[in-house]
Amino acid sequence: MLLQVTFSGLATGSIYALVALGLALIYNTTEHVNFAQGEMSMICAFIGFTFFKLLGMSLPLAFILTLVFSIFLGIITERLVIRPAMRAPHFNVFIITLGLSIVMKSIAGFIWGHDDYPYPTIFPDKTFTLLGTNIDLPSIGIVLCTVVVMLILFLFFKYTRYGIAMRAVSESQTAALLMGINVKRSFSLTWIISYLVAAVAGLLMAPIVFLSSRMGIVVINGFAASILGGWGSIPGAIIGGMLLGVLDNVAPLYLPAQIKDMIPFLVIFAVLVIRPKGIMGIEKFTKV
Amino acid sequence: MGKKALKIVVMVVALVGVLTLASSPSSAEVGVTDTSVLVGCSNSFSGPLVYPGTQLVNYGLEVYFKYINEHGGVYGRKILRKYYDDAYKPQNAVANTRRLVESDKVFAILCSQGTSPVMATVKYLIKKKVPLLFPYQGVPIKGVKTIFTSFVPYPTQAEIVVTWLVKKKGLKRIGMLYQDDKYGYTFRDPARKALRRMGLDLVAAQSYKRGAVDLSAQIAKLRRANLDACLLVCTPKPGAAALREAHKQGWKGTKLISSGPLTDEKFIILSGGVGEGVWGLSLWPDPVHSNLPAMKEYRRIMRKYGKRKDNKPNRYSLFGYFYAKLFVEGLKRAGKDLTRENYIKALEGIKNWQNGIIPPVSFSPTDHLAQDAGFMVEVRGNVFKPISGWITLQNGKLVETPLQ
Amino acid sequence: MTKRKSSSCILIALGLITAAILPFFLGTFVIFLISLLAVYSLVSIGLNLLMGYTGQISAGHAGFLAIGAYFTAILGSRVEWMPCIVVLFLAGLFTATIGFFLGIPILRLKGFYIAMATLAFGVVVSDIILHWTSLTGGDDGLGVGTATIASLSLDTSHKLYYLIIFVTISLTVLAHNLVKGYIGRAFVALRESEIAAQTIGVDIAKYKTIAFAISAFYTGVAGGLFAYLITYLSPDAFTLELSIDFIAMIVIGGLGSISGSIIGAVILTGMQQTLAGLQDLQVFIFGLALIVFMILMPRGITGMIGAVKERFFRP
Repeated sequence: MLLQVTFSGLATGSIYALVALGLALIYNTTEHVNFAQGEMSMICAFIGFTFFKLLGMSLPLAFILTLVFSIFLGIITERLVIRPAMRAPHFNVFIITLGLSIVMKSIAGFIWGHDDYPYPTIFPDKTFTLLGTNIDLPSIGIVLCTVVVMLILFLFFKYTRYGIAMRAVSESQTAALLMGINVKRSFSLTWIISYLVAAVAGLLMAPIVFLSSRMGIVVINGFAASILGGWGSIPGAIIGGMLLGVLDNVAPLYLPAQIKDMIPFLVIFAVLVIRPKGIMGIEKFTKV
Repeated sequence: MGKKALKIVVMVVALVGVLTLASSPSSAEVGVTDTSVLVGCSNSFSGPLVYPGTQLVNYGLEVYFKYINEHGGVYGRKILRKYYDDAYKPQNAVANTRRLVESDKVFAILCSQGTSPVMATVKYLIKKKVPLLFPYQGVPIKGVKTIFTSFVPYPTQAEIVVTWLVKKKGLKRIGMLYQDDKYGYTFRDPARKALRRMGLDLVAAQSYKRGAVDLSAQIAKLRRANLDACLLVCTPKPGAAALREAHKQGWKGTKLISSGPLTDEKFIILSGGVGEGVWGLSLWPDPVHSNLPAMKEYRRIMRKYGKRKDNKPNRYSLFGYFYAKLFVEGLKRAGKDLTRENYIKALEGIKNWQNGIIPPVSFSPTDHLAQDAGFMVEVRGNVFKPISGWITLQNGKLVETPLQ
Repeated sequence: MTKRKSSSCILIALGLITAAILPFFLGTFVIFLISLLAVYSLVSIGLNLLMGYTGQISAGHAGFLAIGAYFTAILGSRVEWMPCIVVLFLAGLFTATIGFFLGIPILRLKGFYIAMATLAFGVVVSDIILHWTSLTGGDDGLGVGTATIASLSLDTSHKLYYLIIFVTISLTVLAHNLVKGYIGRAFVALRESEIAAQTIGVDIAKYKTIAFAISAFYTGVAGGLFAYLITYLSPDAFTLELSIDFIAMIVIGGLGSISGSIIGAVILTGMQQTLAGLQDLQVFIFGLALIVFMILMPRGITGMIGAVKERFFRP
């Protein structure tokens, strides 16, 4: 039973990890907290839905087009909503992203309605048994996709010009500017990548949580995962996400029913009180 | 400090001015004129119950009232409506309801939704003697002159299902997956009591937090309990998630049964085909496939008068449609001289109202419940197929009447 | 008395008189609405004291509101002879204590982390209320008895209105004096730069926890008034969405301004009431308002009025 539940936890945790990843990317480069990360996944999932359900495309094609579309959404969002407030205090941008999440939710409701829709998964629905546990392919697929996304990002940041530039910007915007790096372009790129990650998360999570305008609430789990793994740390996002997913599923086995609902929030609280920088967190020093 | 006080006063006065403009002219009976009768409710147009709320109102109440108004109304009175969004927050429901009663001056509150928002307004509505008609919620409200309730209350649903499983199907080990709120408790406790009366008990009960879709721990535990049957007291999303998790974990050999609110087409659709063989307690005929004349008329009217988007027959709009119809029936029987008292008396006088959708409705001064029966169904080919007649409980005994 | 002071006294007196006679001119629903506005203004002031003046974020104030509300309802029903004013004060004190103890572990955290910790707090409070059924009635909800002062029972909208307005105005004046005094200046120092504040002798830990406690006190009292006004409490009333509503109020009204808190509460609640029939559009406008305000008017309405004043009255 423990193994079964842990395995489920890894799959859910991967989704939390992807959300946390999107948050970490934006925070790392721009120091902004993006409350709309969950809604980004939701909108992308709905766009995919439009492609394959309403326009009748094949699933792989629909998904690829969704990823392409998410790039445009990233550019638009950054240009229209974030850029005007670039110099503003971080609190202001946080409120802007909060407003954005609300706007996106109502736009989705206006276009697609507020119903819940089932969502197909690109992985074949097969199950096999291993060590007394039922392993299903869709769950494995989710974990694999997350790992692949991690690897792609790792390679991107380590070896490509844009990736290195973004890392420089995250260290110090001023220094990067002085070194001739186009900081504005790095910001745009950050949002684009974050949208891509959100799109992947949305396509993977919709089959499990069902497509609806309220899907974006997952951002809270993303925050919990990020805090657990270390806010701002990219490997921390993955570790935190997986750990949170497993914790969420294993705790109900052993703890009384009343406590289990509060797990993500108790985790947040505990981490912040005991070790705020989380598992892999980096200490950032403020200049006076 | 002076400027501040001035600012505050100016603002308050301005706001007050805006709101006072929204008062309506007075008339013989509150909400009634020679050419109109005004009803309304606070409902969920955003928030967790946005889909049931918008369906119930926009594709249920609204389509039927538009239909009636187009045909001249009742005794020359058109039915006017006013709705406000409470987003499932009880304090907003209270504010909205007070607005409807004190500012808009409605004749009655019709079909508000949700246990918390509705219960928050009950005391107030009783005090103000405003009729509360057919709210969409399952907590029993009895013995109030001005309140009429709608479908089978949750405790009765639980008793019916449990008694049917034990007495009719001979099952012994019964468990439950329930939502961790009033909806869940109002099923769990009566079910447990009913089982104990029959010499059994609730063998295993697992709860989940409202809105959760990750139920692997609960399903794993229930699987272990070796149950003959397991009641799913959920809403469609978690219920479908439970089915899929059960399928994923290879849970076989236990009959799963959906509660009344869960026996909904969405439950089947979201579970994506893994629901074959699941039983449930149905409160309505199949809104999509039923060929009863009254159901066909429902679909026709909904198609004609409803907005184009989101226009699919479902049990929420059916609820709104049906109770709009029942409300109008009351108007007809109350006669030309319409007062709240006459209306209540008219409703109480309804005996065996043939409506073609649910069993004939009867009220009396002591019985304000519209529907006290449901029927069992089984999912076959992704459709709920009846496997029993209308069942109700009389003195603890199951009484079955054939479906029409 | 200087001319300025006497004219403000007159205006205050005018304001008070207006507030006192309103019930004779307005319908019961409008009085109810004004009462609700006053309650939300109190929360808004409390939150602004924490966020606007001290620069710490709270995404869990619905939790404090809940604590104050349930405390009032439960104490009121157990100790029936206690005048409601005393009950409200105790509710505020109790909530303040919890706020104080919440503030302690959160002290060292920065901005976003405080937001997360308070968010977690708000949700956990709601959950505790749901599950501690023996005390709170859980999801059954809790009916609130009528407020009483000695033998006077505040059982009509108008009587309750007077209580609420009295408490609101008193606490608003108190807040005004607070921010003008030493504590207020310490708060602002804290907001501008913690490190600099320390160098001039402001005990950061002490003032951060004081800020939490005071903010919680205001919200706790507001919670008690809320309970008397709404007469029915359930965990569904105190959600994350409500906490976000409160943040929106001070963002729109203006951070770091008492009158801004009130303006924000009035505008947000007014907007929600006016648009309550419009379904999706209302939510859209709410979100849009947040974005627009933050981009164009980051200092809220009071900030904009201040900027306009500066423009026109520059010597």
